[in-house]
Amino acid sequence: MGYAIGIDVGGTFTDFLLLDDAGEGRIFKVLSTPDDPSDAVVAGLEEMAAADGLSLTAFLGAVGRIVHGTTVTTNAVLTGNTVRTGLLATRGFRDALQMRRGIREKLYDNKFLAPVPVVPRWLRLPVTERIDETGAEIEPLNLGDVDAAIDAFEEAGVEAVAVCFMHAYANPEHERAALDRLRARMPDAYVSASSDVLPQVRFYERTSTTVLNVAVGPILKRYLDRLTGRLAENGFGGTLLIMQSNGGVTTPEVATGLAASTLLSGPAAGPIAGRALAEKHGRDSFITIDMGGTSFEASMVRGGAPAITTSASVNRFAMALPTADIKTIGAGGGSIAWIDGGGLLRMGPQSAGAKPGPACYGLGGEAPTCSDANLVLGYLSAGYFAGGRITLDTGRAEGAIRAAVAEPLGMSLVEAAAGMYRVMNVNMASAIREISVERGYDPRDFPLICAGGAGAIHAAMIARELGIGEIVVPREASIFCASGMMQTDLRHDYVRSCAASLTAEGLDPGRFSGLWQAMAEEGRLTLTAEGVGADRQRFVPALDLRYQGQYHEVRVEDVPQAAIDGFDLDVIANLFHAAHDRLYGYSLQEEGTGIELVNLRLTAFGVTDKPGSSPEPEAGDDPSAARKGRRPVYLADLGDFADIDVFDGDLLRHGNRLDGPAIVETVVTTIFVPPGFGLSVDAWRNCILTDGGAA
Amino acid sequence: MTSAAANPAGETAAVDPILASVIQRRLKSITEEMGLTLLRTTRSPILNEARDFVTGLYDANGDMLEQTEYIPVLAFALQPACKQVISFFGDDIHPGDVILHNDVFSGGNQNNDVAVFRPVFCGETLVAWSACKGHQADIGGAVAGGYNPEAREVWQEALRIPPLKIYDRGTLRRDVWGMVFANIRYPIVQEDIRAQIGGTVVGERGVRELVDRYGLASFLAHKDYLFDRTEAMVAAEIAGIPDGVYKGQSTVYYDGVTDGSEMLINLAVTVAGDAVTFDFTGTAPQTPGFVNAPFSATASALMLTFLMLINPDIPHNAGLLRRVKIVNPEGSFLNAAFPAATTFGNSITGPTSDAIFRAFADALPHMVSAGWNRSLNIGITGHDPRRDRPFVDILFLALKGGSGATWQADGYDHIGLINCAGGILAQDYEMFEIQNPVRLVRHEYDPDSAGAGRWRGGVGTETEFRIEGEKVTAVAFGDGVEEGARAFGLFGGQDGSLNTAVFRQPDGIERVPKTKQIVRDIPGGTVFVQKAGGGGGYGDPNERPPEAVLDDVRNGMVSVEAARRAYGVVIDAETLTVDEAATREARGQA
Repeated sequence: MGYAIGIDVGGTFTDFLLLDDAGEGRIFKVLSTPDDPSDAVVAGLEEMAAADGLSLTAFLGAVGRIVHGTTVTTNAVLTGNTVRTGLLATRGFRDALQMRRGIREKLYDNKFLAPVPVVPRWLRLPVTERIDETGAEIEPLNLGDVDAAIDAFEEAGVEAVAVCFMHAYANPEHERAALDRLRARMPDAYVSASSDVLPQVRFYERTSTTVLNVAVGPILKRYLDRLTGRLAENGFGGTLLIMQSNGGVTTPEVATGLAASTLLSGPAAGPIAGRALAEKHGRDSFITIDMGGTSFEASMVRGGAPAITTSASVNRFAMALPTADIKTIGAGGGSIAWIDGGGLLRMGPQSAGAKPGPACYGLGGEAPTCSDANLVLGYLSAGYFAGGRITLDTGRAEGAIRAAVAEPLGMSLVEAAAGMYRVMNVNMASAIREISVERGYDPRDFPLICAGGAGAIHAAMIARELGIGEIVVPREASIFCASGMMQTDLRHDYVRSCAASLTAEGLDPGRFSGLWQAMAEEGRLTLTAEGVGADRQRFVPALDLRYQGQYHEVRVEDVPQAAIDGFDLDVIANLFHAAHDRLYGYSLQEEGTGIELVNLRLTAFGVTDKPGSSPEPEAGDDPSAARKGRRPVYLADLGDFADIDVFDGDLLRHGNRLDGPAIVETVVTTIFVPPGFGLSVDAWRNCILTDGGAA
Repeated sequence: MTSAAANPAGETAAVDPILASVIQRRLKSITEEMGLTLLRTTRSPILNEARDFVTGLYDANGDMLEQTEYIPVLAFALQPACKQVISFFGDDIHPGDVILHNDVFSGGNQNNDVAVFRPVFCGETLVAWSACKGHQADIGGAVAGGYNPEAREVWQEALRIPPLKIYDRGTLRRDVWGMVFANIRYPIVQEDIRAQIGGTVVGERGVRELVDRYGLASFLAHKDYLFDRTEAMVAAEIAGIPDGVYKGQSTVYYDGVTDGSEMLINLAVTVAGDAVTFDFTGTAPQTPGFVNAPFSATASALMLTFLMLINPDIPHNAGLLRRVKIVNPEGSFLNAAFPAATTFGNSITGPTSDAIFRAFADALPHMVSAGWNRSLNIGITGHDPRRDRPFVDILFLALKGGSGATWQADGYDHIGLINCAGGILAQDYEMFEIQNPVRLVRHEYDPDSAGAGRWRGGVGTETEFRIEGEKVTAVAFGDGVEEGARAFGLFGGQDGSLNTAVFRQPDGIERVPKTKQIVRDIPGGTVFVQKAGGGGGYGDPNERPPEAVLDDVRNGMVSVEAARRAYGVVIDAETLTVDEAATREARGQA
């Protein structure tokens, strides 16, 4: 199969992981090119070709697979640079998009403005038609209204149109007819119907998701057309796969058809990377964290399945397609320390970013940041940051912390820096709590997989905050998402509303199995079109259920296929009671309260080959060959500095063990091993930290 | 029982400002976890769609540690009741107890808002209270849903629940439970109280972990420190306001009994150094009907408005109240005496806020907002023939009008009553039709509803639906239909539009409800139409950039005529361009 490449386009860098036939990986990074992100992609490919002494054409000819994560759709929404978009809505309901059900997220801030809708009101046009909640037609579709709207759209230069009619999930005929007319008269426009994008109840969520889909559709299409063109021109004949927000990949053709599925794909490969790593250690449940310069991401994987949410949003507009449930907070190396009006120390969410950067970068930044504290405390080395390519200025870091934190709080410099470090850790631990405790899981049951250049300085202390005993720092920590992309399957999510009570009388078995079959058929067709053979197709069902009269559903997963095929509603009910109890502290099983079915869901997977590198032989437990010196580092338990060992992480080998306190530095990341923690190196040169000593 | 406040161990713990930040964050996130439980498990759309509830943690004295209110009017609705619960039970508080409360004459804010309190013990020591309060779909009384404009005393409104144990040391008191719910119409209220109890379990779990982690002495010391820090932040904010006495008034129209009645709110605010006093002396006496507020409701209204005038990032705990003094003599309609009917009390928040904004207009011109639309709330109840069961809902989607504009910010469109400040959600249209026997016809922005200004008010909405249920009754409990009740403009900004509502029966009869009235026997096929008004404008409309006015015209939020009349911007309706010369002339800038 030749080379395989994972490409992750980030805000600052585009990361590449190049895998050879043997599964050996090499890391490349080039500066991102926001004007045309494919420039950076090609530049990176050229760099990789040159590294192996090949022309770009010869190199690409030897590449079997490229998995690509792109943020072109996300950036278009966040910067307001979507295409001119129109909306056809049932007459009387065109404002649902902009109203967002009337929420103002900040209750007491009268200067907090509503976000600008993707479609302005003058391009949201009404169509007379009406379907009710049972799918019955109340008022026929007036195609004259559709035609009048198309005239207006053409005059306005609209490139994309969403069709969102009331209760279309229950009967899509009106939407289909309007869509047909749009396609006939606006053949170049990108058009979608809500009943295709998200056939489920709740008008605002469905409308918002469909509008986002069409507004970014042409942008994704243009980008992928250009990228596939450039790759083909340069001899690429392999498979290109695109990362989706649900943690799976798909072909460019399918991605282009459901462009919104890429909207939150940026961090979605992180949990997948974690899964590949955990599997090597026989684990299938864990928490991944990724700490970069400005943001910190946390997510949970249980039973090998990354957590998925259907209540995500983009720029404060609902995006209800299944999305990897990743909590992002403003916490990174650049997070700025400040004192609030009551004298409490806060960290972030403001970040010094790459420019002006932390004070210690000496690039003009004057605000004290997390990195400045880490430098003052000795966790970072002034001379070995980024492998020595950047020299950090300890004096500037000290000055910034003294002026903005230590003096106002009446503390010493070191107390202030230690406080900054601790508040950072608490903020990050809170984010982890949100994706674990709030979902009904105890974080102590999950090892922490820590990615990102800055994460491993904090990971052990975050773990202590949460009572987590084991941390894995992957060798590819700095390009975690790119490595995760090499481990993804093709994935497509389907949903059908099916409102009925979960009883043999209330639920028609024929309808129940018919809806499953329809979704499976759709999945089969899509996967087959993507070249996935039947032996590699997997289908995973889930149901959205609630107690009679409740408003919100609980997603019940892990449903045995036999229970669905056999219409065994008791099994499904018991799974629901258990899930409700776990999430909310009680169930109503004993009260005999009825259960209502809301949605059926099916996820179709196309299983891909996962590259795997071979384990290294044991090199013995003595790490002394990697020891490169000692330096004073602040230890919180001691309340003071102590001279501790510093190791070159790139020289550590399989089987090496060491005990904290210690620092392990590689070119791209620094690990702080506090007293009481041990570190061991596994067969793929990942570092495992264990509270209580090296395993 | 021993009181944690006495710190029985006699230990003293040094305060670590960093640990204080840690504990504050953790307390806040516990209350958020409690809120999530309620949001996801309750039955009534008033709770899970409109989010009319609050979750909080209180110390052993009932002082607020942290809280997450989904709507601001509940921001101070739990602490007074918590203190009443503590003083009532005294030493008779044990692990596993669960206490219900709604009584407005012992710290409650509204009869329908039922609180669940759970004491949190660490060993033998009471360390905190985990509590939540939600607006229940029914609370007994003469009228389903609880809003009874015909009530003359509390018993016609609601079942009073003074501090009442429903669990005693972990055991459900089945007789007490049965007694309470025998007096409440809808079975879902039982389920929703169960969900609230579940929420307090989540809170208890969180506090115990926190105290186990850091030790009781440390927890207590840092709690006091956090109160002190919040107090210091509030003091600094007040110190930034020039000293003086500031006066503001507003009027509530119609007491539900006498046509043409008006009730004056008379407010004098005294800022002296770093403390502030709100004095309502001179406010109209209590009314014979339900247009009265209990003390807690008025205090909440005051505090939510005050919080809009200061730094929004101050941690909310008991320290917030220390520099704020409230003088609100008993017997006025803002502090009604027993046994007054008071269910309308929360709805007086809008007028109370108006008086406060007016009072501070000169002292804090860049923080006050123009008037918010006063909400015309209408609840509907009846029988749903499709599923052969009762339905009850409050028409949040129809009542949410615009907020007032402020310095550098237009008002927020369709945000709704200031009591909720955008925390309350309009129903999703499809869910609204599934949950209630109605057929929506329209829910759109209402053009020209916003008050013009350099920054315009928020835009109101128009709602129309056909009622297809049986035995339908509507209850109006609102305001904002009289001229004087318009959302007022500030500093040259104009007033917003008024609220209107009408029931158009199939027999041709049109019934316009009074702002406080029960509308009975609404026949199937009746069409209901409501307009929620816009917010007031801020600053001279002639100073609004013509492009901003053109944008509103293009989007149908402002008509071409209104652009000319209110803003002096002359727009060609055909080409949608600004006639600059004519605009200069209209604005007197020629």
